[in-house]
Amino acid sequence: MADKVLEAVELSKSYRVDDRRITVLDNISMAVEKGEFLVIEGKSGSGKSTLLSLLSGLYKPDSGRILLNDRDITGLSEDQLAPFRNRTIGYVFQSFHLIPSLTALENIMFPAELNHDPAATAKAAELLRRVDLHQRDDNFPHQLSGGEKQRVALCRALVNSPQIVFADEPTGNLDSANGETILQLLMKLRREVATTLVMATHSREISSTADRILRLVDGRIDS
Amino acid sequence: MLNFRFIFRQIRSSHKQALIFVFCVALSLLTLVSLGGFSSSVRSSMLKDARQLHAADIIIHSHYPLSPVLTTAIKDYEKQGLATSAVVHEFYSMTSNTALEKSVLSHLKVIEKGYPFYGKVELASGRDFSEVLKEGTIVVEQSALDRLGAEPGDSLQIGSAELIIADTVIAEPDRPVSFFSFGPRIFVAAADLERLDLIRMGSRIHYNYLLKVNDPAMVDRLADELASVAVAPQERVNTFENAESGVKRFFENFLFFLNLIGIFTLLLAGIGIQTALGALLRDSEYTIGIMKAVGATNRFICSHFILMIMLLGTFGTLLGLSLSFLLQLYLPALFGGILPASVDLVIAWDTVFEGLLLGTAVVGLFSFMPLRRVRNLKPAAIFRKERGTAGGRLAQYFTIGVITCFFTGLTIWQLEDIATGIYFVLGLVGLLGLNTLITQALLRIIRKKRPRTLALRQAFRGLFRPKNATRAIIITLSASLSVIFSIYLIEQNLQATFIQSYPPDLPNAYFLDIQPTQRQKFSTILGTEAQFYPIIRARLASINGRAIDREIERQRRRDNLSREFNLTYRDFLLDDEQLIVGDSLFGNRIEELRQRGEVPVSVLDTVAEIGDIRVGNLLVFSVQSIPLKARVTSMRTRTESQVRPYFYFVFQEETLKAAPQTIFSAAKMERAKLAEVQNRLAKELPNISVIDIAKTIEILARIMHKLSTIVQFFTSFSIIAGLLIIISSIFATRLARIREAVYYKILGASSGFVLQVFTLENFLIAMVCGLLAGLIAQAGSWIVCSRVFDISYHPLPGRMAIMVGITVLLVIGVGIGASLSILQQKPAGFLRDEE
Repeated sequence: MADKVLEAVELSKSYRVDDRRITVLDNISMAVEKGEFLVIEGKSGSGKSTLLSLLSGLYKPDSGRILLNDRDITGLSEDQLAPFRNRTIGYVFQSFHLIPSLTALENIMFPAELNHDPAATAKAAELLRRVDLHQRDDNFPHQLSGGEKQRVALCRALVNSPQIVFADEPTGNLDSANGETILQLLMKLRREVATTLVMATHSREISSTADRILRLVDGRIDS
Repeated sequence: MLNFRFIFRQIRSSHKQALIFVFCVALSLLTLVSLGGFSSSVRSSMLKDARQLHAADIIIHSHYPLSPVLTTAIKDYEKQGLATSAVVHEFYSMTSNTALEKSVLSHLKVIEKGYPFYGKVELASGRDFSEVLKEGTIVVEQSALDRLGAEPGDSLQIGSAELIIADTVIAEPDRPVSFFSFGPRIFVAAADLERLDLIRMGSRIHYNYLLKVNDPAMVDRLADELASVAVAPQERVNTFENAESGVKRFFENFLFFLNLIGIFTLLLAGIGIQTALGALLRDSEYTIGIMKAVGATNRFICSHFILMIMLLGTFGTLLGLSLSFLLQLYLPALFGGILPASVDLVIAWDTVFEGLLLGTAVVGLFSFMPLRRVRNLKPAAIFRKERGTAGGRLAQYFTIGVITCFFTGLTIWQLEDIATGIYFVLGLVGLLGLNTLITQALLRIIRKKRPRTLALRQAFRGLFRPKNATRAIIITLSASLSVIFSIYLIEQNLQATFIQSYPPDLPNAYFLDIQPTQRQKFSTILGTEAQFYPIIRARLASINGRAIDREIERQRRRDNLSREFNLTYRDFLLDDEQLIVGDSLFGNRIEELRQRGEVPVSVLDTVAEIGDIRVGNLLVFSVQSIPLKARVTSMRTRTESQVRPYFYFVFQEETLKAAPQTIFSAAKMERAKLAEVQNRLAKELPNISVIDIAKTIEILARIMHKLSTIVQFFTSFSIIAGLLIIISSIFATRLARIREAVYYKILGASSGFVLQVFTLENFLIAMVCGLLAGLIAQAGSWIVCSRVFDISYHPLPGRMAIMVGITVLLVIGVGIGASLSILQQKPAGFLRDEE
């Protein structure tokens, strides 16, 4: 397939809880095209977050392969994956996961600085301005509201202009007004950066705006 | 009702912090209890072996032959069959192997039959000492044989006598150490004393009259009777139970100093207890919040945590006591060479009891603040938005006040010296206060810094991570390091001044006990220019009519006024002297003084400080029991502290010329020439003792190094307190550190970067500690060297850098060791738990 940015081949993942083995994902194969907005939809416990973690290289599958830009990343070590994560992938989490000891601006700059980008500060400041938080650049995460934290997290995910952004329930911890704002910002920024977006959500409303929906039921793709 | 299962579960869930708490409690007791137990063991061994330590029941010590009245009294006892006596003469003299032309300064012990009344002189051959040492023979220490190239059967020249080596001595009961001796021991039979021809007027001889009392119950009575007729203060009568020895006194003083270090360690371990307990209770904040939210009272919660602390405190105390005893097993080896007796280790139950009390007090004191936080914690803690506070400032000041009072009381009780105790606590408060102030200031500066390098910036931020005990770590580590650095710097400076850079122009040989009639011949043998100092031995009887209290004086830890002084006479200042009060040595009112029956005297400032002597004061000396009234006419000081002769009291020649005296001389000569002079003096003027300064300096260096090693050994325990706080801090911030590490990795940082950040954070802590400690140590050592020792100070920057480097490696090693599991954390698992 042309312009394929991400491909998963027969992914399976299970966990052991005490003596029980729970299969979370069972033989998942899928692909994501460049620029696509793909929603992974499913109920709580369906395996959305696990699939997102596998696709982004945070987890290793029990079996199967993941190809990012046609490169198999399944067997890469943490340190081999690190530059990939930094330059190719952006993350937005439900719980924001901002570094508590850094200010809003520094949190956004962080991935760019890891990438030795000399324009890290300027890019971060510009992104903050675009999400209307430029006056809060010196605030630490604990000084920000949930919506503000997620806006900072959005900026951080996009500061290195990644090829693909993974968003795991990005509005899950926000009220509806803040959730709507975040979603609009995410869409707007995604268009501006021209990146691929893979989002896990159980919101039908968000799914309705996606280019494609992948529905998960009990760890399998519901076709 | 108490729920014990809850308590055990709390301990299990925070077992790492609990373990550190236990270690800190154990550490707080370790030094003090082990030293207390050890000194009890030493004292009990000394008491048990007291008769052997002095080889007799009654010991009469004098620098002169016994007064006739005392001699008569002893003879009467012997006639009545009450006691048996033996005289022991101890003095230094040159001993030569004439065949090889080798000479050595040796420590002679001339003994009468009967010595030792108690204990045993052990010989290499295993034979009975009384059977071996006969007239015409000697028993020598192995080092004498080595240095003289002799062996048993050879003969050695001592004074005018040629004596045959009969055996080698391994141990003697009343001199268990050879650490402080300037020459090897040689036993000579009293029958040969006259043949030696070494005892002249003014010679430095220790006369020890030993008495064995046939009825042990009469020892005290006879001693009292003898003391009543003895000529005070030159004749000292003691029983084996109350006899003092210089070595014993030195050992007590040294233990006194080590106890100060023990208290210092106790305080730092106390800070560790507070930090570890704070972390342990913070781990439980969520649980406490829930308990409060569902209606548990403060009384209920606190009683559980108090019981938990008591349990852990008990474990810590027991561990501390066990480790103290184990440490005591090692102490005889560590103290090897300076112990006044062979030590049989005993469990000193009073020390164990004191240890238990101390453990309880320390845990109670340092648990107060963390427990107040538990009490003040609101149920909102379950939302993790609120933390308990230690209460108002009043409560904090109150706690600090109680801790200060406790330490002051403990110090005074341990040292049995109020003034020193208060000075020590003030010094300690000053050190920690200064440390705290500088640490606060440095952290404030660091907080504002924003380094360009990403890893460094993250490390800077890491220092201020919530729950990070950065301040406590820096204060404790830098305080303990500053003490260790100071001891090292002072030792090195003393070595540099007195030993390594011994000025080439200063005399390198001292000659003692030259008789005035031998001066001419001595000069001929010497064949080089030498300085001569007449010496008249005397005691200070009173200052301004106030008699010298010998008991109080003997309790002084440095020099004291009860000892015998060497007076001299001359009318000029020595090269290293200058007047600080007065226009000339003896002023211009000499005639006026003479009319009042007084003579002028110039006093050195160091002895003036001891006795608070001022110009114009009247000093009365006792020169062989003849009073000498001297008015202080000037005060001198020494311009440099070097190993060269100096005199506290200088008189006019006419005052002391007629007094019994010897001459002391000092000269500078090549080593080969010195050996030749030693041999000639041993042959022609055998009563003159030669001290080779190079050899003396070697002994001084060995003693200094030994003492410094022991002090550093005990101070190193206080470093452990700092390291335990580092580990506790890492455990307390484990979640935050894992979160940071995971976020870094998610955002594309390699594990190398994470390691770099954590390493840099520890590096920063270590550098701040090292530099702060270095700064304080430099200032403290400079003050001690320039004010106390009066020597020039060398900051030794290279060695300081090495010590700071070792600190950095130690802190990084411990920090990274405790962070290994954090570094290995996989991001996804953590994130799943966090969501």
